[in-house]
Amino acid sequence: MNTEYAVEMRGICKRFGGVHALKDVDLELRHGEIMGIVGDNGAGKSTLMKILSGAYLADEGEIYIFGKKVNIQNPQDSFNLGISMIYQDLALFNNLDVTKNIFVCREIVRGPFGIFLDKKSMYQKAENLIRDLRVDIQSPKLNVASMSGGQRQMVACARAIAFQSKILIMDEPTAALGVTEANKLLGLIRNLKDMGLSILLITQRIPDILAIADRVFVLKGGQRQDVLDVSLITLDDVVTMIVRGKAGNGKQISGVEYKSFG
Amino acid sequence: MVKINISGLRKYTVMFVLGILMVLFSFTSPYFLTFRNLTNIISQNTHFIIVAIGLSFVMIGGGIDLSVGYQMSLVGVVTAMLMVVYQFPAWIAVILGLIMGTILGLLNGLIVSSIKVFPLIATLATSIVFQGISYMVSKANTFRSYPDEFLFLTKGKILGMPFDVFLTLVLAILVSIVYSETVFGFRLMALGGNEEASRLSGINIRKMKITLYTLCGFFTAIGTMVMISKANTTNSSFGPGTEFIVLTAAIVGGISFMGGEGNIPALVTGVFILAVLGNGMQLAGWGTYAQFIVRGLILLGAVTFDEYQRKTRNSKQKRSVPEQLHVKES
Repeated sequence: MNTEYAVEMRGICKRFGGVHALKDVDLELRHGEIMGIVGDNGAGKSTLMKILSGAYLADEGEIYIFGKKVNIQNPQDSFNLGISMIYQDLALFNNLDVTKNIFVCREIVRGPFGIFLDKKSMYQKAENLIRDLRVDIQSPKLNVASMSGGQRQMVACARAIAFQSKILIMDEPTAALGVTEANKLLGLIRNLKDMGLSILLITQRIPDILAIADRVFVLKGGQRQDVLDVSLITLDDVVTMIVRGKAGNGKQISGVEYKSFG
Repeated sequence: MVKINISGLRKYTVMFVLGILMVLFSFTSPYFLTFRNLTNIISQNTHFIIVAIGLSFVMIGGGIDLSVGYQMSLVGVVTAMLMVVYQFPAWIAVILGLIMGTILGLLNGLIVSSIKVFPLIATLATSIVFQGISYMVSKANTFRSYPDEFLFLTKGKILGMPFDVFLTLVLAILVSIVYSETVFGFRLMALGGNEEASRLSGINIRKMKITLYTLCGFFTAIGTMVMISKANTTNSSFGPGTEFIVLTAAIVGGISFMGGEGNIPALVTGVFILAVLGNGMQLAGWGTYAQFIVRGLILLGAVTFDEYQRKTRNSKQKRSVPEQLHVKES
C-alpha cells in the first residue's frame, strides 16, 4: 500500500471457465500520469481494466485507490470511488441526446425525494462541459445516433469527466477514428491530464502512447511483463516486448519485422 | 444536419392517421360521427388504454408481456368471486384483486430477470399457467351482478364524465409525467435503448425489470376492474385477446418493439385507431371476423414500420463510423 499511487492493483487473477485471462497481475498508476496499457489481442488489457471499473469481478487480488483498500463489486462502486471507464464500444444510448447520454444514472434531480429530473440544469451543465472541453458538438440536444465516431468519443469523455472523476480508463479511444479526429482526442486526453486526472489508456496504436503517455504497461498472456518509461524507449522496444514478453523469459522469434505496428 | 425527432414526428403521424380514419368512416356511415357513438368509443376502450399503459412500461424497457390477457382473466374471476360468492365488500375485493395482479406481474418480472430467456416466451409460458389457474379457480363458471359500489367504477360520474374515463385520464397524465419528467422514466428509456450500457452506467437492471413487470401487472389489474365492472359479469374467457389488441395499439402508437421509445399521447391514439377501425367497420357492416384480419395486418404493418425505422437509425450510425480498424479484445 502506497499513497503515492492513484491506483494500485495487487495479485489480480481472473478466469473465464478454463481460460486464465489474468495471472497474478500487479499494476501501479501514479497521480496525474497517463499510463498506456498495451498487449496483443487476448493479453487481458480490457479484462484488467473492467475489473477496476466494476464490470467484472476479480477472482483474486486486492485493489487500493489513493492508498485505501477498496472492494469494487459493480460499476456504481467504482464510480463512487472516482473511477470512470470509457468502453471500446462506447456504451452510448442511440435513442437519447448528448445531455441525456452524459447524465444516465448521474441525473441532476429536484423535487421531493429527488424523483424529478432537473432538465434545465442538465442541459446547462452539458453545454458548459462541451464548451470547456472545446469539442465540436453543436448542441447538447443533438441525438448521438447521428454523430461521427469522434463526436461519440467526445460524448463518452464528457460523460466520464462530468462528475469529478479522478481516475479515467479509456479502452481503445482512437481505434475507430480518422487521423484528424484521433489527434483531437489525444489533445483532449492531454488536457484531462493537465486537469489533474490519472489516466489509464488501453490502445493498439503504440505511437499514441509514445505521444502522450508517461509510462507504458505491457501485458502478455495475462501476465505483467514490464512497465517502461516512455521517455527512455522507442516504438520497437514496445513492440518487441508485446510480442516476445520480458527479455529472457520470452522465446526468441526470428525473421519477423514488426516495425509497421500501429 | 437537420435534426428530426422521430418519436415526436410519429406522435403527430398517428394523430393524423386517426383523423383520416374518422373522416373516412363518417362517409361510410351517418351514425359514426355522432356524439353518442364517439363517447361510446371512448368508454368502450378505457380498460384497453389502462392495460396498454401498463404494457408500455415493459415495452419501453425492451421487454414484452404476453400474459396480460390471462392476468386479466385470473384477476377478474378472483375479484368477482370474492364479491359474488364470498360476499366480500367491493373495496376489499378490489384491493385484493389489485394485490393479486401486482403479484402476477412481480412473478413475471422475477422469471424474466432471473432466468434469462426471451420475455416473449417466458410470458407466453406464464400466460398458459395463469389460464390454467383461472379455469381451476372459476371452474368455468360465470359470475355476474356485482354490488353497486363496484359498478360505480363505470356507471358513476365524476366531473361530468364516467368514473372510468376520469380514472384513465388521470393515469395517462400521471404516467406521461413519469416518462418525461422523472428519473425513473429517464432510466427506463435508457434501459430500453441499450441494456448493456445501462448496466455499465450503474443502473440496477434486475431491480428495474422486476419493477416494470410489477407495474404492468398492477395496471392490468386496474384495467381488469374496469372491464368486469363495465360488463357486470365475468368468466375465465374475459381478458384473453387483450394482449394482442394492446400490443398492436402500443406499436401503432409508437412504442418501439425494441424498447427505448414511446409516449402516452401517441399510445392512447394508437388504442383509438384500432377502436375507430373496429367501430367504423362494424357500422359499415363488415362484421367481427373481418376486423380480426384487419387487426392482424395492422400489427404486421406497424412492426414492419418500427423495424424499418430502427434500421435506418442504426445504418445512419454505422455510416458515421467509417473505419473499424481493430479486432475486439475479449
